[in-house]
Amino acid sequence: MPWYLYLAFKQLFPSGRWMTFFTCISTLGVFLGVWMLIIIIGVMSGFGFKYGRMIIDTGGEIQVRGAFIENPERIQEIINKVPGVVASTPTAEGIVMIEHQGRPGYPGIIGVAPESVEKVIPISKYLREGSMADLDDDAVVLSAGLAASISTRVGSKVTVVSPLTLERLSQDAYMMPTELTVAGVYEFGHQQLDKSVAIVTLRRMQDLYGLGEGAYGVNVRIAPDADVDAIAGEINASLPPGSRMRARTWMQSGEAFLFALKIERLMIILIVSMVVFVVAFLVTAMLLVAVAHKTREIGLYGALGASPWQSAMCFCFQGVIVGVIGTALGVSIGLLTLANIDPIARLIARLTGNWELLVEVYEFTKVPAHITGADIAIICAFAIGMSTLAGLVAAWRAAKLKPVEAMRSE
Amino acid sequence: MSNTAQPILTARALRKTYRSGNRELEVFHDVDFHINAGESVSIRGESGSGKSTLLNLLAALDTAGAGTLSWDGFSKIDNAARGKFLGIIFQAFYLIPELNALENILMARRIAGNVDAAARARAAELLARVGLRDRGHHLPSQLSGGERQRVAVARALMNSPRVVLADEPTGNLDEKTADSVMDLLLGICAETNTALVLVTHNPLYAQRTAREYFLHEGTLRSVR
Repeated sequence: MPWYLYLAFKQLFPSGRWMTFFTCISTLGVFLGVWMLIIIIGVMSGFGFKYGRMIIDTGGEIQVRGAFIENPERIQEIINKVPGVVASTPTAEGIVMIEHQGRPGYPGIIGVAPESVEKVIPISKYLREGSMADLDDDAVVLSAGLAASISTRVGSKVTVVSPLTLERLSQDAYMMPTELTVAGVYEFGHQQLDKSVAIVTLRRMQDLYGLGEGAYGVNVRIAPDADVDAIAGEINASLPPGSRMRARTWMQSGEAFLFALKIERLMIILIVSMVVFVVAFLVTAMLLVAVAHKTREIGLYGALGASPWQSAMCFCFQGVIVGVIGTALGVSIGLLTLANIDPIARLIARLTGNWELLVEVYEFTKVPAHITGADIAIICAFAIGMSTLAGLVAAWRAAKLKPVEAMRSE
Repeated sequence: MSNTAQPILTARALRKTYRSGNRELEVFHDVDFHINAGESVSIRGESGSGKSTLLNLLAALDTAGAGTLSWDGFSKIDNAARGKFLGIIFQAFYLIPELNALENILMARRIAGNVDAAARARAAELLARVGLRDRGHHLPSQLSGGERQRVAVARALMNSPRVVLADEPTGNLDEKTADSVMDLLLGICAETNTALVLVTHNPLYAQRTAREYFLHEGTLRSVR
């Protein structure tokens, strides 16, 4: 080990002592900065990641919408031929009135094709009770919020009235309300989706809305790591000419929210990066004090045969070591915090009484966390880079000292 | 091995000045000095006469305004060579406070190169030689002034230098401790055939060296 690296370690962790006050304060500063960056980037990315996953899990990576599709099977055939497409499923959405034992609800209703829906939208993954295998034309799957508000559970009979029923009534025709059995209850973990949604078969939806054999859209699942934009472009090119149908990627579907999250993430990262800048100034100031305090000692290194740059490296490495240790601690504790961010956020929100507000703004009932290796690498490089820069400032001061003048200094 | 009669460190017509504003202050001029291998030489003079400045020039820590210097026949000496050729002892000890006594001694070797088992053994041997066998793991703050200077003597000898330059090594010590440090320094240099340049105020210590110089009003005279 070069002597300047050895001495840098010794000056931070002297013989007979655990560490110096400088080591403690400056390492703590870097640790806090990195810890905050990891948590903030993790949580903000988590919201974006979870939101994206939620869109994909409820509508596939690509959604074809824009016109009533009279023959969804033909459109599916066209879409399924596009390279990269794994599966597609037709869908139709609307609003109905639902009633159970005198308790009414007005949920959104989604018609899905049982034979293909699971290949695109993994509803089973989110089922809290019941089974998708039981979803037939006389069954319905309810969101957790809706099931709770009309007091149903699997096996309950509910009555569904669609706008078509009301339309028929206005034409003096009578259409019997539809009775369906609850086959399952799902929970996506997203406030809006879990609040009031009912899922029926596409055939039942076609009956309720008088759609014939048609649908309102097709959801598409693509191969993992496939280029979603390219495939959406190819689907658009393959759709019948003159059709008003357009394929939109999941990113385009959630564009506004994802953009808001991106801007929010960027702003918070900028603000927290200031903390790392402040820490770098703290390390610089403390190392400069160390250089001033050790002026005679730096003269001694020269007298013992050290070159000015070697003496300088001793202080530069102190900045590097502080940066590496502080960053390692910050990343470790930060990842540990992210792994437990939901209970921690709930505890803080409970103490401050802001949990409801948090759920309302971000719509997730669980605080998400997601951080990539690239994010961690950037944070590490930034923090260690700033600490090294702090060390370089002190090193430059040390390198300028001449041994004789340094040893004469008071 | 150099011949003992051969000068190992020489200075010819050295001149040193300092600039103070627009004025140039001369510290000394036409200084001729030499020391042979294994010899001991003292330099005395009043406070402010320029003894330490001369020693710094001999140690290549400072540059002369005029004159020439030669270290074992070479007119230049770089930092690395200085760490091996010269051992320097200061009045204020200058031990590194974060390192214990043994680590301070080894520091001279670390800067000059790598520390191996042989170097550790030599450091331990020197520590024993200066009477601090059991104090190796003590920090400078846990040692007395005399003990610190003993560690500094051991550090100066760590790389087996050809010349030891000692700048008032007993200046910060009481009389009894100073005597013991001086006994040690002179004894160990004689044992190891290391040349010693001793800057001192004390005429008794100066008399114990083979030759004496006296620096007065900018001129260095050989007095013995």
